[in-house]
Amino acid sequence: MADTSISQEQSQTRSARPKTVRDRIASKLYKSESLRGYLLMSPTLLILTIGIIIPFFILVMISLWTRDGFAFDTTLTLANYFEAAERPIYGALMQRSFWISGLATFFTVLLCYPMAYYVAFHVHRNKMMWIILMTLPFWTSYLLRVFAWKVILGYEGVINSGFMSLGWIEAPMEFLLYSQTAVVITLAHAWAAFAILPLYVSLEKIDKSLLEAATDLGDGPVARFFRITLPLSMPGVIAASFLIFIPTTGDYITPALVGGPDAMMIGNLVQKQFGPINNWPMGATLSIALVAWISAIGLVFLWLTRKAQEKLT
Amino acid sequence: MDVVDQLGAVREGKLSRRKFTKGLLSAGVALATVPYAPRKAMAAGEQATYFTWGGYDVPELFQPYQAKNGALPDFATFGGSEEALTKMRGGFVVDVSHPCNQAMPRWVATDLFQPIDTSRLENWPDVIPSLVALEGNEAPDGKVWMSPFDWGQTSVTYRTDLFELEGEESWDMLWDPRYANQLGSLASGGDAWWVGAIKAGVDFADIATDEAFEKIAAVMREQRPLIRTYTDDTTNLQQALASGEMVAAMTWNDSATTLKAEGVPVEFASPKEGALTWVCGVMIHKEAPNLDRAYDVIDSLLSTESGQFLIDDYGYGHSNIKSFDTVSPERLTELGLSKNPDDVLSAGHFQVPQTQEWETKMNSMFEEIKAGF
Repeated sequence: MADTSISQEQSQTRSARPKTVRDRIASKLYKSESLRGYLLMSPTLLILTIGIIIPFFILVMISLWTRDGFAFDTTLTLANYFEAAERPIYGALMQRSFWISGLATFFTVLLCYPMAYYVAFHVHRNKMMWIILMTLPFWTSYLLRVFAWKVILGYEGVINSGFMSLGWIEAPMEFLLYSQTAVVITLAHAWAAFAILPLYVSLEKIDKSLLEAATDLGDGPVARFFRITLPLSMPGVIAASFLIFIPTTGDYITPALVGGPDAMMIGNLVQKQFGPINNWPMGATLSIALVAWISAIGLVFLWLTRKAQEKLT
Repeated sequence: MDVVDQLGAVREGKLSRRKFTKGLLSAGVALATVPYAPRKAMAAGEQATYFTWGGYDVPELFQPYQAKNGALPDFATFGGSEEALTKMRGGFVVDVSHPCNQAMPRWVATDLFQPIDTSRLENWPDVIPSLVALEGNEAPDGKVWMSPFDWGQTSVTYRTDLFELEGEESWDMLWDPRYANQLGSLASGGDAWWVGAIKAGVDFADIATDEAFEKIAAVMREQRPLIRTYTDDTTNLQQALASGEMVAAMTWNDSATTLKAEGVPVEFASPKEGALTWVCGVMIHKEAPNLDRAYDVIDSLLSTESGQFLIDDYGYGHSNIKSFDTVSPERLTELGLSKNPDDVLSAGHFQVPQTQEWETKMNSMFEEIKAGF
C-alpha cells in the first residue's frame, strides 16, 4: 500500500511538467519488474547470445548441410542425421563415451563425498582453507594433469616402477596406460574439484539437530547416514554428477592422450570430422546428437532421483 | 569480401567453407579487434610463420634465417598434412607450409598457394633436379609450386634385442601376433594406409580402386588389435621404443636415427616388400603476410647447414646436393642415404598423388578401422 501511494505522489509531481522520453523509460522500468530483471541480466544475456545461442544455431545449420568436396552443399537435409543413426561406429562411440564418463562420474562422486563430508562435519575452524587446499591440485592446467597421469600410469611410470622395485610384479602392467581404465582414472581425478564443492555446500547446509534427533530416536550411525545425511545431500550429489557427466562425455584430450585405440570417444571422432576426415556437417551433426543424448540422459537421471527421494520421504 | 556476394552464394546452394569461415571470422573478430587496429601497423616487423610437421620446428634448421632476421620464424605444427590443409582452408594464414609430394597437387588445386620464384632463392642452383621434377610441380613462368626440402622413407623401427626376427626384415613385423600390444603405428592415413597397400600387395597405380580399398581395409583391420597406440607424435613412439613398451613401430627415418644416437639398440628396417618413400617440400601461402621472410625460410631450409643437421641428426635426405659433402660417405651408407635420391626413392614404393575424394574416403575409412569397426 505504502508503495503505491508513493508512486502516485511521484506521478502527480511529474505530471506537473511535460513528460520527457527519459521519464517515460524510467516509469516503464519502475512499473515492470520483468523488464528490470532483463536489464540486470543483459550483460550475461548478451554474452550468452553471442557466445552460445548464435553458435549453436550455426551448428544446427551446418549439420543440415552436406559436404561437397571442400565446400558445403547448402541444401537443407536430414541426411547426416540418418547416417549418424545408421552407421554403427557413431552409436557405438556414443555409448562408449557415456559408459566411460558415467564410470568417471560415479567414482569421482564416490571419492569426493567422504572428503566433503569430513570438512562439512568434522572441521570446525578454517573450513575455507581446507576447501582451498583440496582444490589446490586443480590450479594447474587440465592438460598438465592429463600428462601427469600419463607419467604415473606409463610403462615406466611411477606405479609400474614402484611395484617392480617392491617386487610385487615382474613385468610392467600394460593395461594401465592406453585403456579405458586410464581414461576413467584420469577423468575422475581431473574433475574432482567440480564434485567436492557442490557436495560440500549441500552437506554444510544440513541441520545438525536432525541428526541428533535421529540418534535420540534410536538410529545408529549407518542408518542415520542413509536416512538423513544422504537424502538431504542429494541435491549436491545430483549437481556434482551433472557437472562432471556433461563435460566429460565430450572430452577430447584425455582419451587422445591416455586412451589408446580402444578408448576413443565421440569427442575424438568429432575432432576427426573437422580435421582429417574433413566432413564438417557430420561433425556438427554428431555434436548436436551428443547434446540431445546428454539432455535425455540428464532428464531420466533427474526423474529417477526424484522417484527415489519420494520413496525415501 | 562482399556481404551480398556471400548471401548470393548461400541462395545458390554453394558456399565454400573458406568463405563461410571467413565470414564468421570477420563478423566476430572485427568487433573484438577494433581497439587493436593501431597496434597492427606496428607489428609489421613480425617473423614469418612456418606451419610444419612436429620435429621441424627446431633452431638448427634456421641458422641462416636467424642470422639474417635476428630471430627464429614463428612455428605452428601439425601431425598430418591433411589436417594442415583443412586448417588452412578454414582460414589459417601462414607464410610457408610443408606438404609432401603425394599431397602437393591437391594443395595446389585449393588455390591457397603461390608459385615460388626460384630466382629469389640463393641455394636453388644446388637443389637436386630430380626432386623438383615431381608430378604436378610445374607452375606458370618456369616457377615451381613446391621447393623440395627433405626426402626419406616410412618403415619399421624395431628393437634388435627384443624383436626376434624370423627371416628377412619385412612389413609382416608390424602384423606379428607374437608382439600383440607391443607394436606402434603412425596415426595418419597418409603413411599407414599406404603401408597397408604395400602389405596387401596393392600396386600404388591401383590404390584408388574399390578392390584396393577392400584389400587394404582388411589388412588394417587385421593389424588393429595388435597395435598399442596410433599416434602422430613421433616422440611418443620413440619413448615407447626406448623403454621397451613397444618392440617395433612404423616410423620415419628420424626416429631410428635419434634412438641410435641415444644408444638404444634399434634398426630401421629395409622391408623385403620395399619401404614407403616420399619427398616433402615447402610451399608459400597465397596471402603470405611476410613474403620476403617466407623466401628466407625456404633458403634457410635449403642451406647446407640445415642439410647437415637433417642428414646427420635426423637421417633424412636433403634436397641440396652440397649437403651430402658435409657428411662422410661411411655415415651416408650407414644411414642408407645416397647422393642420388632416385637410388633410394625408387628402391621403395614412391607415393603417388590422389584425388581429394580418395583422400577423404581413405581417411574416414581408416578412422573407423582405428576405432575398431
